[in-house]
Amino acid sequence: MITPVAPISLVQAWLPLAHLTPTGLGPWGDGMARLFLEPTDLLLMSALVLLAAQSGRACSDRLPLLLPLSWLSGGLIGLGLHTELLLAVPATALVLLVGMLVATGVRMPTRLLTPLATCLTLLFSVVAGSSIAGHAGAAAALLGETVGVAVLVTLLSQVVAPPQPRWLAIGMRVAGSWIGAASLLMLGWLVRHPT
Amino acid sequence: MRPSCWATLAAAVLLPAPAWAHANAHPGGGLVTGFLHPISGLDHVVAMVAVGLWGAVLGPPALWVLPVAFPMVMAFGGLLGLLGVPIPGVEIGIALSGLVMGLMVLFELKPPLWLAALIVAAFAVFHGHAHGAELPAGSNALLYSLAFVISTGLLHLIGILLGETRRWPGGRRFVQATGGGVALVGLWFLERALT
Repeated sequence: MITPVAPISLVQAWLPLAHLTPTGLGPWGDGMARLFLEPTDLLLMSALVLLAAQSGRACSDRLPLLLPLSWLSGGLIGLGLHTELLLAVPATALVLLVGMLVATGVRMPTRLLTPLATCLTLLFSVVAGSSIAGHAGAAAALLGETVGVAVLVTLLSQVVAPPQPRWLAIGMRVAGSWIGAASLLMLGWLVRHPT
Repeated sequence: MRPSCWATLAAAVLLPAPAWAHANAHPGGGLVTGFLHPISGLDHVVAMVAVGLWGAVLGPPALWVLPVAFPMVMAFGGLLGLLGVPIPGVEIGIALSGLVMGLMVLFELKPPLWLAALIVAAFAVFHGHAHGAELPAGSNALLYSLAFVISTGLLHLIGILLGETRRWPGGRRFVQATGGGVALVGLWFLERALT
């Protein structure tokens, strides 16, 4: 029997994404650490880079500039919001979707992937900005997270830049599968533990 | 190696067996806990290694299709467990997974890819359900899930690497013997599950 908790929880699970975790390194360090300590954003960025690398050089070359700029823009919008956006479930579902696209080896045309990556990054960064807006030094934290995104995307793009050897292409699909699987478990977790 | 050394090694490997992976209640979420969870029970470990072993026996594309598909299906099973959707005979299914895949490796059975994927996917649901039903609440849920999936994937990789020893003289017999060992462990857990 399906417990009645599940559908109720699904409705209630519009939870806030992570706030800043104090690292002792100041707002800049806190922002950068946020990317790794609460890794929904990290997984999205990684999955987008992998998807772009699967889709070809034209896509892959754009992301190191596109994603950090989008992140900074969306983050600034989020900082200006007066309410915190509560989007944990849809955000996790989107990471699941991108992870599955990577796992299944989908190759997207550049004209489709570029706006998709931009929109997703903007969405996630607006949410991130709104969640850290109440913290002291939020702007520095956003800048720190943006630098983290830039470093991650640049390094990862270089590693997985096409044309990939066969083993790397398989490894990328496995990574996509892991990202999708972790997101799927996270979705269940959000439903099971809505508070 | 002297017989006493072999006995000590065997005892070290076999004694922790009663600690099934999904029967341990970890106090909280997080990267380390999630990583250790799949490797804390012999029933799960041997089945995951067997997936990689069987993939190596089957050869490409099964070699990488199974490790890509398994995490997603396992996470789906985990989702069912987290949502409270019951699956009958989970313990029996988990024990059967080791037994069946061990026998596949032992006898070097090579069914069509779709059938192999179906068998592995069916068992993945059992493993995922058992873990999902007992995932603890924690603040680092996504880190836990990610580490959990990666740990499982690394067990597949160990199986693949063991399976690749088939290329060496005597490797084929070694892989078959390993499959036989996996089947025996599965049989032991099956007997425990049925009594």
